Amino acid sequence: MKRIVFGSLVAAGLAATIAVAAERAAPAPPLGLPPVPVPAANPQTPEKIALGKKLFEDKRFSSTGQVACATCHDAKKAFTDSPLATSEGIEKAGRKLTGTRNAPTVVNAAYFDTMFWDGRSPSLEDQSQHPFLNPVEMGLKDHQPILKIVRSDPEYAKAFVQVFGKKGSAISMTEVTQAIAAFERTQVAGDSPFDRYYFKGDLKALTDQQKRGFDIFVNKGRCVSCHVIEQTTALFTDNRFHNIGVGINAVQNDVPALAGEFLKAKATLAEVDKKVLADKRTSELGRFAISRGFEGLGAFKTSTLRNVAVTPPYMHDGSIKTLREVVVHYNNGGVTKEGDPVNDFLSSGIRKLGLTDPEIDDLVAFLEALTSPEYASLPSAARVEVKR
Amino acid sequence: MNRKIAALAVAAVVAGARLGADEFTKKDQERWEKEYMSVVTKGRELFTSPKLGTNGVACAQCHPNAANTHPETYPKFQKQLGRVIALREMINWCLQQPLEGKPLALDAPDMIALEAYVAHERRGVKLTPGKH
Amino acid sequence: MNPTDLAGRRDFLKGMGKAVAAGAVPISLVKLAFADPALDFSFGYISDSHIQQISGTKFVNNWDRGLIRAVAETNMLNPKPDFVVFGGDLAQLGSKPELDHGAEILSKLRHKLYCVMGEHDYYLDLGEYWSKLFGPHNYSFDHKGVHFVVLNSILTHDEWTYNRWPSAEQRMLEMAGLDNPNGSPFMVGEKQRAWLAADLAKVAKTTPLVVFSHSPLQKLYKGWNFWTDDAEEVQALLAPFDKVNVIYGHVHQIQYNQIGRISFNAVMATAWPWPYPNTYAQAEHAMPVLTVPMNRADPFFERDATGWQFVNTTSGRVALEYNLYNNTNRTVAWNPASGKPEDRVYQDPAKQVPPQIHY
Repeated sequence: MKRIVFGSLVAAGLAATIAVAAERAAPAPPLGLPPVPVPAANPQTPEKIALGKKLFEDKRFSSTGQVACATCHDAKKAFTDSPLATSEGIEKAGRKLTGTRNAPTVVNAAYFDTMFWDGRSPSLEDQSQHPFLNPVEMGLKDHQPILKIVRSDPEYAKAFVQVFGKKGSAISMTEVTQAIAAFERTQVAGDSPFDRYYFKGDLKALTDQQKRGFDIFVNKGRCVSCHVIEQTTALFTDNRFHNIGVGINAVQNDVPALAGEFLKAKATLAEVDKKVLADKRTSELGRFAISRGFEGLGAFKTSTLRNVAVTPPYMHDGSIKTLREVVVHYNNGGVTKEGDPVNDFLSSGIRKLGLTDPEIDDLVAFLEALTSPEYASLPSAARVEVKR
Repeated sequence: MNRKIAALAVAAVVAGARLGADEFTKKDQERWEKEYMSVVTKGRELFTSPKLGTNGVACAQCHPNAANTHPETYPKFQKQLGRVIALREMINWCLQQPLEGKPLALDAPDMIALEAYVAHERRGVKLTPGKH
Repeated sequence: MNPTDLAGRRDFLKGMGKAVAAGAVPISLVKLAFADPALDFSFGYISDSHIQQISGTKFVNNWDRGLIRAVAETNMLNPKPDFVVFGGDLAQLGSKPELDHGAEILSKLRHKLYCVMGEHDYYLDLGEYWSKLFGPHNYSFDHKGVHFVVLNSILTHDEWTYNRWPSAEQRMLEMAGLDNPNGSPFMVGEKQRAWLAADLAKVAKTTPLVVFSHSPLQKLYKGWNFWTDDAEEVQALLAPFDKVNVIYGHVHQIQYNQIGRISFNAVMATAWPWPYPNTYAQAEHAMPVLTVPMNRADPFFERDATGWQFVNTTSGRVALEYNLYNNTNRTVAWNPASGKPEDRVYQDPAKQVPPQIHY
C-alpha cells in the first residue's frame, strides 16, 4: 500500500514538473483552438516575443516615420484598423495613401497556412517583410533603413544579442521577421461563448437565438464547410481560396483580358505584392495572381470568423459594412445586390440559401458569439438594426 | 393453483404455442425477411424519386445502386458537418444540400427505409466505422 | 495545379518568378504529337451537362453552373482550340426546354462546335429536336490530317425503343435511370456500323482516327450501361488503323484503356461525378486496370470531381488534361514507351494519393 502511494506521488510530481516545463515552453491553446503551430527554426521565447512586439509597433520603419505594422493592425482594435475599408499607409502630399485591400486581423493568423488575402506569403516570417516595401503601405525602397535602426539603436542591439546572439551587420531581415512572427504567434484568442457552449458543454453560454443561428451555420447556411468547425476545435477557416462574388462581379466582363494581361506581365512574387495593392481591377483577380489557374480567379482566402463581430468592415476590399449585409450577400447566392448576375467563376459551394429574415438575424447573432473575452468590450457595431 | 398453471402449460403446448423467449421458426424468418425487403423496396422507391427534394434531383442520380454512400463507415467524422455523425444525418445533409429539400425526422419511416435500401445495396461489406 | 505539358505556343509559365507556385491554366488538352508540327492542334471537350428542368424557366442551378463554367473557361483558352466538342447528354430528360437552355449556354462558346448524341438527349423524341439544333446524329470530318468520326452509340434494340413503353416520356424516364433494371444496353447498331465501314473505307490506314462516342465502345459494366453491346464489332472496324483514339462520355469519371491499337479515354461530366463500378459491392465489372481514378468529390462543392477537358493531338495520339475543380489537375497522355495512355503523375501506385482510393 505504502509503496503504491509513494509511486503515485512520484508520478504526480513528475507529471507536474513536466506540465510546468511544457507550460513554459508553450501555453495551453485557448478553448476551441489547437496548439499554435511553431516552426522548429523559430521557437518562441519571452525575449523574442517582446522584441517582436517592439518591432511590430515601430513607426520608424516607414519612409515618413509614421507607419508601423501596428498602424493597420492596432491591438486596441483586435489588430485591425476597423472601420477602414482599405488600409491607409504613408502620407503623401497631405493625403494618406491607400491600397485595395482590408487589413486582416493578426489574431489567430498563426493558424493560417498562408498569409495575405491571396495567400502569396507562405508564413508569418515571410509576410512581414512585404508591407515595408509597398509604396502605399510603409513606402521604403528596401529594408536598409530598418536594418540600420535595429543594428544601431542600443535597445535593439541589446535585444538582438540576447535573442539571436547576433549584432551589427549579422542582423538581417531574417531575425527581424522571426521576432515579429514570434510576437504574432502569441496573438491567439478562443474561449468565446460559442467555444464554451460547444467544447465545454456550457448550455447557457449561447442564447436561444444564437443556438438557432448555430444550427443555420451548420445546415441551411452552408457555412461550416469553409468556416470550419470540427469535433474538438474550430479554426473557422479551411485555409483555402474561394470566389464568393465580392468585387469580381464588377469586373466580370474584363476578367479574361485582365487575366491575360497579368500572365503576360509575368510578375514576380514581389511585384505581385505591389500590383495587387496598386490596381483595384488586378486586385480582383485574387488567388489567380499566385496560382495562375482558373480555380483562383476572383478567389480569396477564407477568413477566420473568430472576433468577426468586432472587426468590420468585411471582405478583401472592406466593401461590406455589417454582418447582416454579409449574410445577405451569401443568401443572394454570391451577389451583394439581389438579382445581380453571378460571376462565371463563383465557387461551387456558393448558392442561394433561402434564409428568412429571422434566420438571417439568428445567424448574425451566432456570429456575435464568436468574440473572445479579451475583445468583448469592443463595439460590436456590426449589425444593422432590422426595421420590419 | 399449481395444477391450474400446469394444465394451462399443457394446453399451450398442445395448441402449438411456444413459450421460449426467443424461439422462432423458419417461417418466422421468411416472414420477417419479407417485411424487411418491403421496407428496402420502399427505400429504393424513395431513393429514385424526384420528389424527395425541391429540385427534382433524385439520390440515385449521383448514387446508382447506392454506390459511394459507404454505410459501413458510419459513425464517422463528416467534414461537411464538422462532427462525428451517423448515416442518417448524412442522408439529411443530402436532402438539404444537393436536393435542396427539408430534412427528415431521424426516426421517420422514410428515413428508415432509405437507410435500409442503402445498407442492403452494401450488404457483405466489412464494417469500418470512422473510415473517411 | 500541375505544370502543364503544353507546346511552346501555350506557355503561360515561361519566365515566371521561381517563388510562384507552378500553377497553370488547367485544361484538358490532349496533345497529339505529329511529325509535322503544322499538324499539331487541340480541341476542347465539354460533356454530360444534364441540364434539368424543375418547372417553367427554373432549371437545376447546380448543373447550369457546371456548363456555364466550362464554356467560360474554354473561351479563355489562349491560343484558342481549333474547335470544341460537346460529348452528349446536354439535357436530362431530352425535353425542348432543356435542350434549348443547354444550347443557349453553349451558344456563348466562341468556337466551332461539334456535338455528340447522348441517351438523355435521344430517348424522348429520338433525336428529332436535337437534329434541328445540332445536325446529324452521326457524321465524320477531317481536320489537319486526322479523320474524325462522330457516332451515335446510345441506340438500343428496336423492340425497347419502339414497342416497350406506352409513351415517349416513359421511355425517356426509364432510360434516364442509370441503374434502372428496365434499361437496355447501348449499341452502335448494324445500320450505323455499315455506315462506319463505308466511311472508313475511304481513309488510309496510316491516317490517325479519332472517334467521338457517348457510350464507351467497350464492355465495362452492364448494370450502369458503361457498355456498348456491339463493342467488338465496332473495335474490329477500327482495328486496322495504325492510331485510333476513342473519346467517350457517359461515365462521368476519368477512365482510360488500351485495346490493341485503340486508345480509349473517357471525359468528365460538367454536372456530377459517378462512382466507379468497382465500388458497387453486389456486381462484377470490367474496369480497365490501367485507370487511376479521379479524386473523390466533396459534395459540398458542387463542381468537385466535375470538369471539362481539352485534347491535344500530336502524332496521331491524344493527351487529355482534366480540370478537377478544388483538386490537382490530371493529365492522361499516350506514353510511347509503354504503348498505352497513362496518367503523367499518378500512374505509379506509389505516387497515388488518398483521394484516389475509391471503395
